[in-house]
Amino acid sequence: MPNILSVENLTKSFKTGDRALTVLDSVSFDVEEGSSMSIVGPSGSGKTTLLGLCAGLDVSTSGAVTLVGIKLNALDEDDRAYVRNQNVGFIFQNFQLLPTLTALENVTVPLELRGETGYTQKGKTLLDRVGLGDRMGHYPTQLSGGEQQRVAMARAFISSPKILFADEPTGNLDEETAEMVTDLLFNINKEENTTLILVTHNMELAENTERILQLKGGKLVVDRKSRIAS
Amino acid sequence: MDYTIKIKKAKKSLFRDEWVWKMAWRDARNNFGRLFLFISSVIIGIAALVSINSFNINLQTSIDDQAKDLLGADLVVNANKPFEEDLWAKFDSTKLEGSLELNMASMVVFMTSTPGTRLVRIVAFDGDFPFYGNLETLPQNAPKLMRSGTFAMLDENLASQYDVSSDDSLKIGGITFKIAGTVSQIPGGGGLQSTFTPSVYISLDDLDSTGLVQYGSRVNYKKYFKTNSQQETDELLEELKPLIRQYGHSYETVEGRKNNLGDGFENLYRFFNLLAFVALILGCIGVASSVHIYVKEKKSTVAVLRCIGASGWQAFNIFFVQTTIIGLIGSILGVGLGLLIQYVLPILLQEFIPLDLELSIAWAAVFEGILLGLIIAILFSVLPLIAVRYVPPLTVLRTNYEELKSYSKTRMLVVVLIILFPLAFAAYQSKSLAIGFFFFLSLVAAFGCLALVAWGLMTLVKKNFPSRWSFVWRQSLANLFRPNNQTLVLVVVIGLGAFLISTLNIVQNSLLNQVEFIGKENQSNTVLFDIQPSQKAGVVQLTKDNDLPIQQLVPIITCRLANVKGKSVADIQKDTSDAIPNWAITREYRVTYRDTLTASEELINGELQHISNDTIYVTISEGMQENLEVGVGDRLVFDVQGVSIVAYIGGVREVDWPTDPPNFIFVFPTGVLEEAPQIYVLTTRIDAQSKANTYQRELVTSFPNVSLIDLRLILSTIDEFFDKVSFVIQFMALFSIITGLVVLTGAVINSKFIRFRENVLLRTIGALKKQIQRMTILEYAYLGFFAGLTGIGLSLLSGWALAIWFFEIIFFPDVLSLGIIWVSIVLLTMLIGWLNTRDVVNSSPLEVLRKET
Repeated sequence: MPNILSVENLTKSFKTGDRALTVLDSVSFDVEEGSSMSIVGPSGSGKTTLLGLCAGLDVSTSGAVTLVGIKLNALDEDDRAYVRNQNVGFIFQNFQLLPTLTALENVTVPLELRGETGYTQKGKTLLDRVGLGDRMGHYPTQLSGGEQQRVAMARAFISSPKILFADEPTGNLDEETAEMVTDLLFNINKEENTTLILVTHNMELAENTERILQLKGGKLVVDRKSRIAS
Repeated sequence: MDYTIKIKKAKKSLFRDEWVWKMAWRDARNNFGRLFLFISSVIIGIAALVSINSFNINLQTSIDDQAKDLLGADLVVNANKPFEEDLWAKFDSTKLEGSLELNMASMVVFMTSTPGTRLVRIVAFDGDFPFYGNLETLPQNAPKLMRSGTFAMLDENLASQYDVSSDDSLKIGGITFKIAGTVSQIPGGGGLQSTFTPSVYISLDDLDSTGLVQYGSRVNYKKYFKTNSQQETDELLEELKPLIRQYGHSYETVEGRKNNLGDGFENLYRFFNLLAFVALILGCIGVASSVHIYVKEKKSTVAVLRCIGASGWQAFNIFFVQTTIIGLIGSILGVGLGLLIQYVLPILLQEFIPLDLELSIAWAAVFEGILLGLIIAILFSVLPLIAVRYVPPLTVLRTNYEELKSYSKTRMLVVVLIILFPLAFAAYQSKSLAIGFFFFLSLVAAFGCLALVAWGLMTLVKKNFPSRWSFVWRQSLANLFRPNNQTLVLVVVIGLGAFLISTLNIVQNSLLNQVEFIGKENQSNTVLFDIQPSQKAGVVQLTKDNDLPIQQLVPIITCRLANVKGKSVADIQKDTSDAIPNWAITREYRVTYRDTLTASEELINGELQHISNDTIYVTISEGMQENLEVGVGDRLVFDVQGVSIVAYIGGVREVDWPTDPPNFIFVFPTGVLEEAPQIYVLTTRIDAQSKANTYQRELVTSFPNVSLIDLRLILSTIDEFFDKVSFVIQFMALFSIITGLVVLTGAVINSKFIRFRENVLLRTIGALKKQIQRMTILEYAYLGFFAGLTGIGLSLLSGWALAIWFFEIIFFPDVLSLGIIWVSIVLLTMLIGWLNTRDVVNSSPLEVLRKET
């Protein structure tokens, strides 16, 4: 399968006062289209930074990220936003729903942004799929954490992204809800044949993906197949 | 094989990007409360502007429309002495319809159910004056009755003061007049004129028999003309001008009356313009401040939108559309409110305006209001909104991620436009680039000083930090200089609000002080004038018999100038290069003689009036010295009732005119004018009203031509007037104050976002609610204290400059009201600070910390 994501010698440094702090240090890997992968590691190991760089949310200090064949480093922020809109889906630990939009509106925003039509029906279908057919007109504050995350999931999948980035998707959920959300995530992902990049502390969750990258101190220390894949 | 996707996104204009408009609506529908600060700033600022501008336009239109009615004729020739024979001949040769009026001050005895005596303006006229405008009387036939003889009409407020009815009569000089009716409106009268100098109207034929016109009486002569066209007026004026100028008379045309009225309202316009400027600038700060808060709240929303693919401009446009539409709505509401207030203003001002204000919607003011509201909404919201473009999408993962870009060309352009806006607006509103520049520089200086104070405060507290103080005091002080502190922003915004509000207060006090009668401090409260030499002893005796002190008994001689510095008056008039005004060389001078200075005088140059080697040295008042362009040693020739007297300027006196009247332009030494025809002025002090009544009654009975000015009566009239003016000014100033409060609230609410997380963290580690509240309140107290103090300090400077140069009045700050403003600002800042802590103390720390993860 072709690579949907290529990371070459990726380095990210921040300046804190007079000192430069390297959060990611020469990380390289490729991700095949349709595959699933987890990025794990202790706090401060650079997981979230790596996810941000891969998804085009930030730019690296050096090295390159090629997403769906496009070198992100060469693009400005608005072009990267366009690439994200056309190809990328996100699920965040804090759900990140727009508080002034209803559940259905939150889900359909990416398609509206693309200028597509028929998004309302597609949004309704997806909300039905995640079990929230009766909560479409509710605002995020009127939904539970699990419900909000399911709305976020529907939003992530509505644009049929080629790649989905999920940052600790169950981090703010109780065990039972987390399990339900995880099942839903992997099931829809499989149905949609979307490439999945998952950032998590949870090794059990990580083992659900085909491949696991482990970061430590900003370096890639382990790149292995998961138990499921092997 | 790698994918190859080309970036071929089509750029959409704001008007074609449906998604932006849809998102703007979706986001706004649940946020109207949040936008309240924004819209209220626009509404109040624009309402103030529109009401003021619309009122000004309507007032100007009314002046234009009614100037003829106010003059009552096409041309009026004014004189303070009888018209000369050759001038009369010219008047008669015109064959135009005309009317003659003589008016003078005189005592009148009211023989009514509320008897009394009062100094009034006696207006005697013949002919069919007024030719234009209304002479409204009750009954309608009162003028006809008056013209029939020994009937008098009087202003309606004077009639009500003495309970005058149709059966009553009044005595003027030696004649008793029956009441013909009351006058509610007459061209050239009414309004303030009737408040300060109420009039009694009689037929000109009756004036002689009253015996009022004697030597020294100050009589004004007015000849009214009615012409058939403007051309005829111009021709008439051209014919009369040389003689009018030669004799030092004056004239007034309809156009001249328009200009005079316009000039009369100059200070009112200026004050209103200042109010509009202040309200609008505060509105601008309010807009910027509220949008700044709004944008902060929207940061996470923007980050999500950026994450899912919205461009920076799209995100910006969502909020731009919101603020523009809400700004437009605010402008329209502001215009509506302004027009409503415009209808209230005439009710408040009608008494002070000698014309019927015809109110209509001033469309120019309406469009200007909407346009300005829109400009403000856009210009002052764009700067904080630009931050939206640079919200990094990574904020969805890390809340404290820095803005993508702090410098941009758009941002710089907006900053330049924001700087230019107050300058352009002030220049436009005041119709003067210099005044606009002055307003603008005041603002810039205020910003600079406030920023300096904020920086000084931070440095001072940091260097001298009281490390032994209790936790609450230390923490509240440390908040002033710690990272993310709000000291600079709050000191500048609160200080600027304080600066503008107290500047307004100072200007208001100075304006109000101007109308206060300074005679309050004068010991004399009663002035008797027109005392003939034969009556002098009798009046003095009458005063003594009433146990009243004689504080001044001053002889007055009337004379004119015949020659100045060797040039005759006629030669000066002919010499076009001479800058001496015609009125100064043709007027009648009332001079006195004495060898001393009075309490209201100070010799600032030369010597006191004296005779030296048979040469007469007079002293001249400072202002007239400049008008006549004379100095010590210059020669003058006076025409004293046909006798030429040569005198030299011996010295220059500075005269405090309102103090201890009467005061004089020229004072002769004793030994020169004693034999000249003269009258006397006597001043005294009467404390008890009953004594005043008796004295006035006896005076009018024994000496009917002697007039008496009761300063207490004038003072009470002025006090009444003052209260009304004060109410109008305060009513208008209220706008600026309300806008200032909106700004202050916005600034403090803004700081809440900075302190919120820190205070929650403090609570998490065990700080008590009380400690959090005390800490916050103390921090705001420091900020309010220093910002208020600096703002008020600056306002003293700007208030002084405005009073002296802009309004040309005496600088008169009211320390007490400034103190109240200061304390109010501190208390208000503390109150808002306390309100801000309510969220912190009522929120669960966990809830906040979870959000921040």
